[in-house]
Amino acid sequence: MSLTINTTINGKSVSGSAETSTSLLDFLRDTLEYKGTKLCCNTGECGACTIIYNGMPINSCVTMAADAIGAEITTIEGLADGDKLHPVQQAFIDTGAVQCGYCTPGYIISVKALLDRTTKPTAEDIEEAVSGNICRCTGYNKIVDAIHLAADRIAGRA
Amino acid sequence: MNYFEPKSVDEALSLLAKYGEEAKVIAGGTDVMVDIKYKEEPGCLVNIKKIPGLGAIQENGGNLRVGSLVTIREIETNSIVRERLPVFWEACHQFASLQIRNTATVGGNICRASPSGETLAPLLVLEAKGKLAFADGEKSEPFDSFFQGPGKTTLGYKGLLTEIEIPYPPNGSRGVYLKHAVRGAMDIAMVGVAVLVTPDAAKNSLQDVRIGLGAVAPTPIRATKTEAMLRGKPVDAALVKEAAAMAASESSPISDQRSSAENRRWIVEALTRRGLQQSWQAATGKEVA
Amino acid sequence: MAKAEFKIIGTSPARMGGVERVVGKGVYGIDLMLKDQLHGAILRSQYAHAKVVSIDTSEAKKIPGVHTVVTAADAPNVRFGRSYFDRHILARDKVRFMGDPVAAVAAESPAIAKQALKKIKVVYEPLPVAIDPEEATKPEAPTLHEDMPLPKSIPADAKLKNICGHAVAHVGDAEKAMAEADVVVEEVYETKMIHPQYLEPRIAAAQMEPNGRLTVWANAQAPFPVRQETAKTLGLSLNNVRVISAGLGGGFGGKGSGITSGAAIEPICGLLAIKAKRPVMIVLDKAEETISTTIRAGAKMYIKTGVKKDGTIVARTGKVFYDAGGYSGFGVQAGGRCTNMLGGWYLMPNCHIDGYTVYTNKQVCGPVRGPGGPQAAFAVESHMDSIAAKLGMDPVEFRLKNTPKPGDKIVGVPKLRDVSLGETIRIAKEKIGWGKVKLEKNQGVGIATGSWIESAGPGGGAIVKVNEDGSVTVHIGKIDMGTIPGFGIPMIVAEELGVPVEDVTVVNVDTDASPWDAGTVGSRGILVSGTASRLAAIDARNQIFKMAASQLEASPDDLEIVDKQIRVKGTPAKAVALATIATNAHNVIGEVIGRGYFDNVAAVAEEKQHGSSQPFTAHACIVEVNPDTGNVKILKYVAVHDIGQPIHKAAVEGQIEGAAAMSIGQALCEQVVFDTNGRTMNPSFVDYLMPTINMMPRIETTLVSGYPGAGPYGAKGAGEIACVPPMAAIANAIYNATGVRIKTLPLSPENVLRALKEAGKA
Repeated sequence: MSLTINTTINGKSVSGSAETSTSLLDFLRDTLEYKGTKLCCNTGECGACTIIYNGMPINSCVTMAADAIGAEITTIEGLADGDKLHPVQQAFIDTGAVQCGYCTPGYIISVKALLDRTTKPTAEDIEEAVSGNICRCTGYNKIVDAIHLAADRIAGRA
Repeated sequence: MNYFEPKSVDEALSLLAKYGEEAKVIAGGTDVMVDIKYKEEPGCLVNIKKIPGLGAIQENGGNLRVGSLVTIREIETNSIVRERLPVFWEACHQFASLQIRNTATVGGNICRASPSGETLAPLLVLEAKGKLAFADGEKSEPFDSFFQGPGKTTLGYKGLLTEIEIPYPPNGSRGVYLKHAVRGAMDIAMVGVAVLVTPDAAKNSLQDVRIGLGAVAPTPIRATKTEAMLRGKPVDAALVKEAAAMAASESSPISDQRSSAENRRWIVEALTRRGLQQSWQAATGKEVA
Repeated sequence: MAKAEFKIIGTSPARMGGVERVVGKGVYGIDLMLKDQLHGAILRSQYAHAKVVSIDTSEAKKIPGVHTVVTAADAPNVRFGRSYFDRHILARDKVRFMGDPVAAVAAESPAIAKQALKKIKVVYEPLPVAIDPEEATKPEAPTLHEDMPLPKSIPADAKLKNICGHAVAHVGDAEKAMAEADVVVEEVYETKMIHPQYLEPRIAAAQMEPNGRLTVWANAQAPFPVRQETAKTLGLSLNNVRVISAGLGGGFGGKGSGITSGAAIEPICGLLAIKAKRPVMIVLDKAEETISTTIRAGAKMYIKTGVKKDGTIVARTGKVFYDAGGYSGFGVQAGGRCTNMLGGWYLMPNCHIDGYTVYTNKQVCGPVRGPGGPQAAFAVESHMDSIAAKLGMDPVEFRLKNTPKPGDKIVGVPKLRDVSLGETIRIAKEKIGWGKVKLEKNQGVGIATGSWIESAGPGGGAIVKVNEDGSVTVHIGKIDMGTIPGFGIPMIVAEELGVPVEDVTVVNVDTDASPWDAGTVGSRGILVSGTASRLAAIDARNQIFKMAASQLEASPDDLEIVDKQIRVKGTPAKAVALATIATNAHNVIGEVIGRGYFDNVAAVAEEKQHGSSQPFTAHACIVEVNPDTGNVKILKYVAVHDIGQPIHKAAVEGQIEGAAAMSIGQALCEQVVFDTNGRTMNPSFVDYLMPTINMMPRIETTLVSGYPGAGPYGAKGAGEIACVPPMAAIANAIYNATGVRIKTLPLSPENVLRALKEAGKA
């Protein structure tokens, strides 16, 4: 069964159609062609598909496209301000936290959601925010560095 | 696949009555979406998130009422739950990942009835009840009769869980939820143990004790023989050791890709022992001698 | 070249391609969308070992929206592979593991393709299944490849079967020396199958062009071998196959199609596109990947060492059963490496190890990050601690006692030029606080060393084009998956041409335009493409100097390029813009095009003459073991590495941290689990467990210097070696904490708890 999905993505009203079985991730990537949010495990076990949905980071691969109706969604494409990168994006580049980059959009979204709440994240806060995001390249060290650097910059400490 | 967004419990129930086994209820979707992708698509999907009145957490005398659409994250960030029902809070805190907790509902976790479902052993130990709605009326059912097997509950194909009611534990009780898994994040419990102890006035013996075991039987279970053995007894290391061994023998785990049955029994023993020690210490200030 | 002379080498500029990745541009293979594309899907075997009696695709073909259904009958009867051509792209007579492709479909949508797969009727005649590599060599085991001969080095009376590779590490007279040893330790170690689990699923997309050529897009690490494999299996000439690379979301050797008889989805996709006469794209599901694509093999290793009372190693013997899986894949090479490395990288005067790469009915071995090395090191470095314990000797002192010196040889390396092993051990010892740190109950400290050779041959080229404005375009044959094209290569070219790093672009690999290369594998990126790019940049520079010399009235030898200006050394006022010369080139030589290549023959000869400088390493860690549950927590982790001259410092650290993390995963939580029928029981991320951030300690990396390698500016490959020590480092720390030696991976909570209980410690 086909549905019309009217939703708001990165502040813009968009419309598309999807099957009722379509996931929000597939709707974003295949129907709307927003390729930034990534497909990986497709079962909610890796965080590569993380988006902000009504203010919360969620796994779009295990969310219905139908749930986008009337929702406010932020994807990785919505973070930069024109050419100016969001501090989290810039920090990921600056610390070398981007190797292959496939986990990066999901991470940046999760980290943005964290730093929107607090710019003094403790180790527990960081673990809570991103233990649902797998990275296979970096071993996580430089990602932690990026989170701290972004927090410092947002808070004006760096 | 047909798709419906009922606007009331009655509407949902008539859809379930109409479609029976063909219908699948979906809330957060973190389980059902995976089924749709990797198993069969159901004939009809019933999205219950538009039904009002199922999303509240409210106190009701000596109970906490939690609507079935309340998300795990909403429970985790609720200070009443954290203060008054820490066993339940801990399970929600260790649940999957933040992304999943933001959309997964407590109703979904319960109705999925997976033997390893995170909230299930704690709800048994807290002697919580579910409010089940059927076409011919509502009833309240304690969770210890609700779970009938992996994926099977007394809801059958036609019922809807609308709310859970969790009584606050007796004064002086303390409890823990201990989860055994490999990573400490994003894990499905290999074994889950929930313990609640109520010391007697002298803080020497167990006036009451409840032990819930998850992932070691076809449903979450209470270790009732162990509880009976423990009740009224003065607490010491030997008793706790005996109880831990007995709890392990009450479990009937399987061997699967996550763990052998043997290992699960070892863990039941270890976590029951730890759970009793920690709960007793929290309740009485005393270390188990 | 002294470090002070470098402007860019050794720093950490922003990754080329970083901005696209942080803003979510669709740079990956999976982001491709071809116009009018059909969706391809592969039907895989339901049995781990069976004859294929018949395949009936008639029902599938009738489904509306299905454009083509193919089986082996639709492709040439050509086999492919690496050492043995033992595999068809679609099963012809037999299937040999449960992911073996049997048929494929191209349809209007993924849902229709899925439907069509269900309607393909395959009649199998199941055969007995071989799971364990040692058992599979015995006469009573089922035969997997009836027509593949045993390696010639195996005597007929050995009564072995299912062996596709036999390697021997032999030095001196091991039997005699062992008999004369004071102390002998004999053990068996076992590692399990690991999947590299790169996050981006594998894709292939293909379309027939109007002129009859086949264009293939692949997120593959080795586009040229993909071209070779696709052309060969589809019966096309190489000039009629074009492979275009997309950005890869990880690979780790698992996307090394063409290098191995791995997944071969590119030829299958090409076949579908040819038959359907429409573009086709295949996207694998991650669970499908785990059961069907190339893996890190498990190994069973028998190891026996004889030592003198004073700790001098005198002899080693051993046997390796290396699990190739259903086809030889990269198994022969990896098994050979494992066999050699089981001889260790310490002084080893006498050694005899037989290594067998064995066919089993499981996923195929690929060139996964340090193939053969981590397995061998788990055995060797755990075993070193066992020997030290038996001698009552400190494990660090035991290792230092047997550490080679410059000029010495080790198993597999006839001459060492310089040896950083001792220094890495000493630094690791100091940084972990060996003998000093206060350990609580259930805590322990462990150390393990490692070595790795940038895999042998082949070479590769580079083309450096200087554009009219002085910016630079570089063509190499290696792809970017977080590897040198985004990091070291632009830096090297910028260093040699005196231009800013941002002005250098390394383009995507396109087999029509890029120089041939074996691919991004084997830690050879900086060695091969780094050398080639440097030489190409120098070649371009020489052309530039020749043209500028007359204008500046100087000899070309007196010129330098600084900040995009060509100037006379010592007289900076005499200068001309690089852009001017590059533009003028149109009238003189057409264009400044520098060419360089890595001469593998010369490199091998050089090593033979002067010795090789291995990138040694030592890792150490402190762990805490939970005696109730077996959970192991890493409290502190240090990694000390000799990488020669790091080109991009943060990238080198990133490779070390990432590789160590991968092996920490292999140590603590990863394995592919099988039932007795050969079915993978944990294909998805739900139960194939990779480390999450909370498990990973800070990996404190130290780079030692002073041991230049064969790469540009003395660089050494960094992509794989940190995979080598972690499992043994953790196992040794667990032994130190509990007194229990665990010889089978993973060191999962269950396995640790079982070992503790069996030793009466829990």
